[in-house]
Amino acid sequence: MKVGILSFQGSFLDHSKSIHQLGHESLLIKQSKDLTSVDALILPGGESTAMKKINQFSDLLTDIDQLIKDGIPTLTTCAGTILLAKEVIGGDVTIPNIDIEVTRNAYGRQTESFEGSVKFFENEDIYCFIRAPKISKLLSDSVNVIAQHNDEIVGVAQKNIVSLTFHPELNNDEYYLNWLNEFIKEGKNVRSF
Amino acid sequence: MKIESTNKVKKGLAEMLKGGVIMDVVNAEQAKIAEKAGAVAVMALERIPADIRADGGVARMSSVGVIQEVMDSVSIPVMAKARIGHFVEAQILDSLGIDFIDESEVLTPADEVNHINKQNFKAPFVCGATGLGEATRRIAEGASMIRTKGEAGTGNVVEAVRHMRTITNELNEVIACDENEIVALSKKFRAPLHILQEIKEHNKLPVVNFAAGGIATPADAALMMQLGCDGVFVGSGIFKSGDPAERAEAIVIATTNYNDPKVLSEVSKNLGEPMVGINIDTLSEEEKLAKRGW
Repeated sequence: MKVGILSFQGSFLDHSKSIHQLGHESLLIKQSKDLTSVDALILPGGESTAMKKINQFSDLLTDIDQLIKDGIPTLTTCAGTILLAKEVIGGDVTIPNIDIEVTRNAYGRQTESFEGSVKFFENEDIYCFIRAPKISKLLSDSVNVIAQHNDEIVGVAQKNIVSLTFHPELNNDEYYLNWLNEFIKEGKNVRSF
Repeated sequence: MKIESTNKVKKGLAEMLKGGVIMDVVNAEQAKIAEKAGAVAVMALERIPADIRADGGVARMSSVGVIQEVMDSVSIPVMAKARIGHFVEAQILDSLGIDFIDESEVLTPADEVNHINKQNFKAPFVCGATGLGEATRRIAEGASMIRTKGEAGTGNVVEAVRHMRTITNELNEVIACDENEIVALSKKFRAPLHILQEIKEHNKLPVVNFAAGGIATPADAALMMQLGCDGVFVGSGIFKSGDPAERAEAIVIATTNYNDPKVLSEVSKNLGEPMVGINIDTLSEEEKLAKRGW
């Protein structure tokens, strides 16, 4: 399987490491010309304002938007989740694909960043939240909550997209890697260009 | 369960900055230009290094007013500098809720022997290093990010290149060494043994390593990235140039696409005047900032 990772800036190499650990191939995508045939996509954490600016150079996100709409399995973490949100408080809407409202830097500055327990599907583990956004509203019934920190929603799924506000790629725990492997595999039935 | 300011969370922010450009700014207006141009973070300063160099005298932590103004004006992380060993300046920055503290040789050192014990703070720290020994000593003190020292405020990249090549060569020596040699290497580099063991186990430095000092053009930024840096700091290079917004953007695009000469040539067109550089050979030993730190 081949997984494309948006590599403008941020933790793309950590995601790439997870993909290699699973024995798949990763493709670091910076411009539209890097986007050949991929089976799944990852939009990593970083600074969403910087990513949006870097995108202006080749408008790669328009092609990524199309791939997501084609139904390719897409995982987003932190800033990647902001890029796909339909509504953004304290930032710009970029390529709206998931029916959520997110609030940028919702917990505060870095001194409020934390490690917290997260129930991710059936498993509970401790993950990093770094200047994280909050999923402040679900905007349709077709959005499923898949991860919670205390009572907060920190992960959702809708169609082919899974969006998280924390960083499983900094853990690479067994449960996450097994889940990721299954998630990526769904991509083999989807057409990509 | 929720624990703030763990080592993992501190190093995690540095991971999120990777592949990005951190820019020196002296007020809210410059901070907004930097954010708009795609900076991943800004360094709030009263004076940029080129002016500190020109003005002389004792350079201290910036005024709290300037730092607060910058923090209030942008949504990206804000860093600020404390003097080497000046743990009270660091306490003040920490209490402001700053996102990253740079224990920096650009300011006049406050302690000629000791660096700050960086474990005691909520904010993560970045520190300069000219080689692996210095880098690992800072990591042992609690630094969550390392940068080359370069010669800040000169617009001359030669020192940053030297530091990066030195760190890489020494890192490779540790990675390739026989395990019986590691204690001798620890002595040779004056490097804490446990950090060298960690490097040997993971085949890499345990924290992110950025380029800093003398980066003035998109080509300089790409050079440092091709040499293996994780991202770049640009100090005087942006706001001492002819068209800061344009140059800031060009350096951001160049840092992402550092391996693509076509993109680099495109963003290097029509950039206006770069900052005027200083030849480092003309600096006296006392004027060299990279010598500060121990």
